[in-house]
Amino acid sequence: MKTLRLEFYKTKRRKVWLTMFALLSVQLLWGLWSMKDPKEWELQSGWMSLLYFLSLLDGIMVPTMMSVLASRLADIEHKGNTYKQLETLRSAGSLYHAKAVCGCIIIAVMFAVQFAFFILLGYHLGYEGNPEVKYYLLSYVLKVAANISLFLLQLALSMLFANQMIPLVAGLGGSMAALLLMFVTTYSFLPWGGNLSASLVWAEWDETTRISTFCYRAFSPAETAAVICIFVWIVVFYAAGRILFTRREV
Amino acid sequence: MATQNLIETTNLTKQYGKVRCVSSLHMQVPQGAIYGFLGPNGAGKSTTLKMILGLAKPTEGSITLFGMPVNEKNRIRLLADTGSLIESPSYYGHLTGEENLTILQTLKGCPKEDIDKVLRIVRLSEARKKKVGHYSLGMKQRLGLAAALLGFPKLLILDEPTNGLDPAGIQEMRDLICTLPREYGITVVVSSHLLSEIDQMADHVGIIRKGELVYQDTLDSLHSHAKQQIALRTDRPDTVISLLHQDGIEVQKEDEYLLIPMIEDAYIAGLCRRLIEQNIALYRVEKREKSLEDIFLSLTGKESSL
Repeated sequence: MKTLRLEFYKTKRRKVWLTMFALLSVQLLWGLWSMKDPKEWELQSGWMSLLYFLSLLDGIMVPTMMSVLASRLADIEHKGNTYKQLETLRSAGSLYHAKAVCGCIIIAVMFAVQFAFFILLGYHLGYEGNPEVKYYLLSYVLKVAANISLFLLQLALSMLFANQMIPLVAGLGGSMAALLLMFVTTYSFLPWGGNLSASLVWAEWDETTRISTFCYRAFSPAETAAVICIFVWIVVFYAAGRILFTRREV
Repeated sequence: MATQNLIETTNLTKQYGKVRCVSSLHMQVPQGAIYGFLGPNGAGKSTTLKMILGLAKPTEGSITLFGMPVNEKNRIRLLADTGSLIESPSYYGHLTGEENLTILQTLKGCPKEDIDKVLRIVRLSEARKKKVGHYSLGMKQRLGLAAALLGFPKLLILDEPTNGLDPAGIQEMRDLICTLPREYGITVVVSSHLLSEIDQMADHVGIIRKGELVYQDTLDSLHSHAKQQIALRTDRPDTVISLLHQDGIEVQKEDEYLLIPMIEDAYIAGLCRRLIEQNIALYRVEKREKSLEDIFLSLTGKESSL
């Protein structure tokens, strides 16, 4: 706990939270712009479409943010050559664990705020009824998990490489891959495709009426496997990152 | 009663690929000492200190700290009584000096008041609220020492602590290190590639060359090796050698010179007279002194930097 508390203390003046909330602000502005003046059919399926919209936005924007978050947390140690001091006071494994948990908490809070923002926006726009708690909660859990898996991959890279360009380039490349995946498939086993796989809502676009119909996804076995894969990635990336970090010499 | 060694290494070896950086090192640091760990750049000083601190894993050998063999399980517990400054100071540039020390104070679990004390010792009290990123190199180095001093550990390991400091900073750091055993009962291991620096601080010395400990004893003992000799140059050295042997004097031939131990002036005067009487040309009579530098170079190799 002490080590975890210090992780947050170290982020002081690093504007980690500000970076995360800047992303949320961009998403909110995008939402305000694209959802303004909703039509009646849009109000009817508003809550469902909101989940789809968030998955889309997160799929595009969040992978890069995860690499930025991991980099912000790790590069303070590289810049100040602090590992050689910290590792005489705590084991490398516990230092890595504290970093990982710190990032996970930031992600969980960030998405909680995101959901709160958009639910308020939904009410403001006059969506019919109320958001379905079950789907919103599940959606939140899957979204947090998908992005934690991505964050843990980025954290491993950021902790192992002093040059933060390497993890950042990997993050950008992953974001591009995630974007391309959205055009061709409904799920992906790649870590960057987690936001896509975790989407509970899918849209059918009718070219003639130019209307999207939203529905909750009936997960095929492959899609279910892709969701399970998110949790596998969490375990794999955490374990691999921690083992490699612990084995290296300062 | 024999003094306890705070650090003892046995057969300590570190190999990276085919390169042996540290080879079968038997290091002994007595309690209460300032142990100067001396060696040219790249001799293996930092690697040795990193192994002692558990930052690098030995290829072979063992380390005993405070009389206990170090292993992965007890490493952190044993190091709780140790402070270190390896190569360059560790710091968070975006945090103030005080905030940096707060992190380490929390991790070490020592009293908060220690922060004030160590800042006062390294004379950084006034800069405590300043971001470390804005500190000069000397201030960062002093902050590094303050961090190592937190909790006033029994053992302090400082790797080249005067690197990058100006002459005044070096003097200040040196004075500070010298006071630590006396005032706080701290045993200090300080590494350097500068003989003069170790000569002014340490009471025990270990000299490492190409990963091997070539000398380890008190500094006084090293000084006793710094002997004076008389050098003679004549046209018939072999005759002079037999003459000196007849007088029971050890003689050593070095290039064109004959080296004899420091001897009283009266004997030298008599010797000169005898050589002239035997028509032996005496070109030079010189006093030679083997300095600490000469000893260091003879132990570490002439190609090494001082």
